[in-house]
Amino acid sequence: MSLLEVRDLHVWFDRPGGERLHAVQGVSLDLDAGDRMGLVGESGCGKTTIVLSLLGLLPPSATVAGDVRFEGESILVDDEETLQLHRWTGISMVFQGAMNALNPVKTVETQIVEPMEFHGTAEGADARRRAGELLELVGIPTDAGARYPHEFSGGMRQRAALAMALACDPKVLLADEPTTALDVMVQAQILELLVALAKELGLALVLVTHDLPVVAQVCDRAAVMYAGEIVETGPMDLLFHAPRHPYTRLLFAATPGLHGQDEVVSIPGTPPRLDREIVGCPFHPRCDRAFDRCRVERPELRWLSEHRRAACHLNDEPAVAGRGGA
Amino acid sequence: MGMRTDVTDDIGEELKRPAPHRGRRNWFWRVISESTQAKVGLGVLLFFIAIALLAPWIMPYDPRTSVGEPYEPPSWEHPLGLDDGGVDMVSLLIQGGRVSLVVGFAATLVAVLIGGGIGIIAGYFGGWSDSLLMRITDYFLVIPDLPLAIVVAAVWGPSLSHLIFVIALLLWTTTARIVRAQVKSVRERVYVRRAGSLGASDLRIVFRHVLPQIGPLLAANVVLTVAVAIFDETALTFLGLGDPTAITWGSIITFAFLRTAISAGAWWAVIPAGLCVAFVIMGCFWLGQAIEDALNPRLKVSYLSTRSFRVLKPSAPEDG
Amino acid sequence: MRRSDYLIKRAAFAIITVFVAITINFFLFRVLPGDAVRNLSRVPRASNELVNALKEQFGLDEPLWQQYVIYLNQLLHGNMGISFSNQQPVSENLKEALANTIPMAATGTVVAIIIGVSTGVFSAWRRGSKLDQVSTNAAIAFYSFPTQWLALVILIYLSPWFPSHGMSDPFLIDPTPWEHFVDVARHMFLPSLTFALTLYGEYTLIVRSAMLETLGEDYVLTARAKGLPQRRIVTRHAFRNALLPTTTLIALSLGYIVAGAILIETVFSWPGIGNAVYQAVTERDYPMLQGAFLVLTISVVFFNFIADVLYFKLDPRITE
Repeated sequence: MSLLEVRDLHVWFDRPGGERLHAVQGVSLDLDAGDRMGLVGESGCGKTTIVLSLLGLLPPSATVAGDVRFEGESILVDDEETLQLHRWTGISMVFQGAMNALNPVKTVETQIVEPMEFHGTAEGADARRRAGELLELVGIPTDAGARYPHEFSGGMRQRAALAMALACDPKVLLADEPTTALDVMVQAQILELLVALAKELGLALVLVTHDLPVVAQVCDRAAVMYAGEIVETGPMDLLFHAPRHPYTRLLFAATPGLHGQDEVVSIPGTPPRLDREIVGCPFHPRCDRAFDRCRVERPELRWLSEHRRAACHLNDEPAVAGRGGA
Repeated sequence: MGMRTDVTDDIGEELKRPAPHRGRRNWFWRVISESTQAKVGLGVLLFFIAIALLAPWIMPYDPRTSVGEPYEPPSWEHPLGLDDGGVDMVSLLIQGGRVSLVVGFAATLVAVLIGGGIGIIAGYFGGWSDSLLMRITDYFLVIPDLPLAIVVAAVWGPSLSHLIFVIALLLWTTTARIVRAQVKSVRERVYVRRAGSLGASDLRIVFRHVLPQIGPLLAANVVLTVAVAIFDETALTFLGLGDPTAITWGSIITFAFLRTAISAGAWWAVIPAGLCVAFVIMGCFWLGQAIEDALNPRLKVSYLSTRSFRVLKPSAPEDG
Repeated sequence: MRRSDYLIKRAAFAIITVFVAITINFFLFRVLPGDAVRNLSRVPRASNELVNALKEQFGLDEPLWQQYVIYLNQLLHGNMGISFSNQQPVSENLKEALANTIPMAATGTVVAIIIGVSTGVFSAWRRGSKLDQVSTNAAIAFYSFPTQWLALVILIYLSPWFPSHGMSDPFLIDPTPWEHFVDVARHMFLPSLTFALTLYGEYTLIVRSAMLETLGEDYVLTARAKGLPQRRIVTRHAFRNALLPTTTLIALSLGYIVAGAILIETVFSWPGIGNAVYQAVTERDYPMLQGAFLVLTISVVFFNFIADVLYFKLDPRITE
């Protein structure tokens, strides 16, 4: 039994016009303690939605199906009380743009202490002491806790958000684009911190991002998402060097510097609309290796080896694929 | 990008995200067609305007002629009874509506002209004229409306045109601020500079480039100003500062008070007039608010809600 | 700029505005048709000595700028002239009137704030629900009702149960302190109720709007992610942030309560400063009018300054 199990998760959103958007289309994942998994894809592919589902933070316009289990217990429920039990104590989150994730009228220390006291992890002076320790852990001087968020720089705020996320000793830490709003130098520091904390505290980490170098620095494995589904998973180095899905290959090719090339090669075309049923492979209109089967039959995410999965017909047809891969 | 990147992008391009710069003519119709609030507001206003315009043909009796006993209660002939002078209330209301609406619109027009003029000057020319005019606006804002109006009207004498001007005096400041802000920002746009270098006269630049941009914002401001103007008219008339010979909704209420309609139990002399005022103001408010909301769409949806998302049980699968 | 500089700047602005108001006040009454001597010393049935004394006191036959200086000087000594209607010093009349208005207006305002804030918070939390729609439209309705009309309606329907004129019963002989208190309280009920109803609507809308802004902020989502219950998030996180614009807007509106006071006190014959203004207008009692205008303006400036202080205290971000 894994720490976190996602089985066939579907999420639909009701739109003001009456249609439904199928934002997440049958996603399954496993996460164990100590894993550092990346969730990669373009904007709009559904990765943030998945992460919000793990905490039950979807809006009322959402409908979900499938199962999410944390330590064996199903947490894909609409019962606020059950959800509240695991929020922050089992699974916690760092959001993008900590500028706004921190309440501007409360001190940083207060915001770290509050969940501790609410969940009964610690109280009073003990809680404040622990908050101070967490701040130190993320590289902020302890007495800075009495300050307000606007007095911190962007990088410091993100560190504070990290300290806050660790307040109740969670087992899983979700990080949604934690460094996108920061400049490159600060980015690297925060990511290093993330890795160090994960290792030191034995956290399971899910890092959501569209930025491949970020995933490369932090994660040991990743799931690549496209149009609401996972199209490939596997260890980072294999995804780089031997991708088994054309989207993965093109995604890495589109990132400058990753393979040594200098120019950005963007993938022509746009992702499919999610308010209509997708016929065939969702990526086929933009794929450079698409063939007949791709237009009519939707590929399943299949296990290719012990730690590899991919959703591409090319993996079934070595003759067409040529080199046995995308 | 905020945390909602993924979710909002899922809902994405298809979600109606209004463009920051609309076409000149179609924004109004878009707001109306999209918002129930706007429809209701506009409907109410059009209703009262129509009655005011059709007054000569639909007024059942002459609003200055007695047709019965003072404070006669409502009857089939007189659905809203008679006032203290035996005049039919329905006719009074229609006549009053005409004048009240005229006063309200006229005062708004003057206010917009004054405010717009000041805003244009301050915004376009900037520098010391801007600072000076804005200081004046600030002080005007702080001085309390009604007492200022009372003092000016008391000093000047009661008449409708004085009333219109006094009300306008209270209302020009918001228009001035809006116009100034818009003029300033448009002035900094490239094409105004370009036109300037072509030698076009200042005024022509302003009218051709600035006015279309501020259309919607100004419209909202104008509509809301009309509401305040009508409200102020009733207040000032009540205090004896309007034209004593004019019939307005405000004067109907005032005379009901002065001529002891209350003790006579004549609710019909009081309530309908106030309701008319209230409906017109509400109509203005709904319409104005709808326009403003369309201009500044609240892209942020509340993160809290009493309803929860739906969870499907495995036995009932959905076909996306 | 350090934080305290902000307060000093705002205090200076307040003082300057008061000064501007005093100046406007002065000039407004000096441009009355007719000569200043007659208008300002035209205390009815005054003896020649009084007229001459006033002439001397205010230098009414001196050049205008000298009169201005004298006026300022007299103001500093608390001398605002003699009221035409009761031949008493204006300042005394105003003091008494103000003392009568404050408890009545304060009660109504406090109730309005309580109702407005609670309905506003609730409506924002349950945005879009039937309850929200009802409460919001009710707020708009009460906001739109002409104040004097609302007073009359309340008068019509509630006067069987509550006294509707004046501040106390003239026929109550030798009341004990408690009896007097109850008597005044009963007389105060209707005007205060009107006050509350006419004010609360605006507050509901202000609070609702501020709350909707905060409820869409990322820290609210963070608070939810922390497992905190919704009620706590609304009251301790969202509301605390919404408090900023709310308090300033409410404080600002307090200065404009004077307008409502005038209308309400007139209807209920409550002997407060609003009524004093009304009486002064009808009797063309210029010294009283001038004095009342000054008092009202100063109160607005005062509340604006309070709003600045509150904002300063509540927002840790003010460094500018």
